[in-house]
Amino acid sequence: MNTNSNVYTVIYTTVVCVLVAALLALVSSSLKPKQDANEKAETISQILTAAQFGEKSEWQAKGNAAVLDFYKQNVAEAVLIDASGNKVGDLGTADATVYGKSELKAQNYNIKDGSAAKLPVYIFKNGVSVIPVYGAGLWGPVWGYLALGSDLKTIAGAYFDHESETPGLGGKIKDDPSFRAQFKGKSIDFNDPKAAFSIVKGGAPAGKANAIDAISGATMTSKGLDEAINVWIEAYKSYLTKNNPEE
Amino acid sequence: MNAKMKETILNPILKGNPITVLVLGICSSLAVTVELKGALVMALSVIVVTGMSSLICSLLRKTIPNRVRIIIQLVVVAMMVILVDQVLKSFEGTYPLDKQLSVYIGLIITNCIVMGRIEAFALGNKPIPSLLDGLANGVGYGLILIIVAFFRELFGSGTLFGLPVLSALGYTNNGLMILPPMALILIGCIIWVQRSIQKDLQENY
Repeated sequence: MNTNSNVYTVIYTTVVCVLVAALLALVSSSLKPKQDANEKAETISQILTAAQFGEKSEWQAKGNAAVLDFYKQNVAEAVLIDASGNKVGDLGTADATVYGKSELKAQNYNIKDGSAAKLPVYIFKNGVSVIPVYGAGLWGPVWGYLALGSDLKTIAGAYFDHESETPGLGGKIKDDPSFRAQFKGKSIDFNDPKAAFSIVKGGAPAGKANAIDAISGATMTSKGLDEAINVWIEAYKSYLTKNNPEE
Repeated sequence: MNAKMKETILNPILKGNPITVLVLGICSSLAVTVELKGALVMALSVIVVTGMSSLICSLLRKTIPNRVRIIIQLVVVAMMVILVDQVLKSFEGTYPLDKQLSVYIGLIITNCIVMGRIEAFALGNKPIPSLLDGLANGVGYGLILIIVAFFRELFGSGTLFGLPVLSALGYTNNGLMILPPMALILIGCIIWVQRSIQKDLQENY
């Protein structure tokens, strides 16, 4: 057979492409449940790390089942709230349903264009509430979780993740525990005229309760994270302040 | 095993090492060698991809239309890479590593070693030698990756496979080891060592 004829070439490439596409589709759809389970456990372990129930690496070592079990045992409520701070939905705790990265991305669009966003709040039995944040870093999305004390003002902890920030620079929002540790004991202050929370390039002023130091060499990532935090806590404002009516 | 086969297996690991002699696949070897764990997963992934795509292309070699052979090779390589990525994502143990290696698993597609071996070897040889050639090239690549990662993790983070070694002795981490330029310097050193041992690699001017 003449393998160099045009007809043969076209048919051959078509057949190869269709076969490869079919195989990949098959593999992808059969492995999807497992991948989703991994992603869910990853999200929950990030929430647990933010809420100070151990470190991320420890959860990784314990495995998916342990992460889910711990979450189910310790979470009191996982609710969805709207812009006025009212409960509009319930994620339920029995299945450990959480909003993953893609859901956060969708809600981020809702917040930005002013349409009705449904935002998750994970309330743990020890009084800690965890809220997510999502925004744009330098190269891709950055997102994370802020754990708030029972007054919904004091930050108990935080965890951040990113898709493609520069390792060793912007990547420190995830990899550097000392960056995360700065959040502990800080607080959100909606009365601050500049921003409710800020990540300050060149170092936060001493004694300022709602600011932390930015990462040197990662100005854009720090700015992006700063914006992500402020946009999201603004969206949560009614919920976070409803118990403190004097504000 | 005959001499020719032995040559097929040993050549890519020593005398024709894809990284130190052919100087292919440098990009990913700079990026994923910060830690041994990541380097090991990357090495295994590349071994699977080079081996399997060489095998598949060798099986198809008589049917592939000459004018579109590069495209067909690319489709096969891309398929293998996506398969490896999907499998890594599916297991609890490898999921965090896949997340850490992120784009570099996908970028195996652009690794010159894979296409290079298909073009230079698999299209002109029988399936079994092609499979061995692909695997051996992957091993040659992986070996250098692991050597570089060993030094970078040991002196950059004071650990090996995440376990404290030098850091337990009060060693202060060398930040330069973490950065990509140091990987290039280390690869340069490996090439130097290899060339002083295998004198026939040195050019005469």
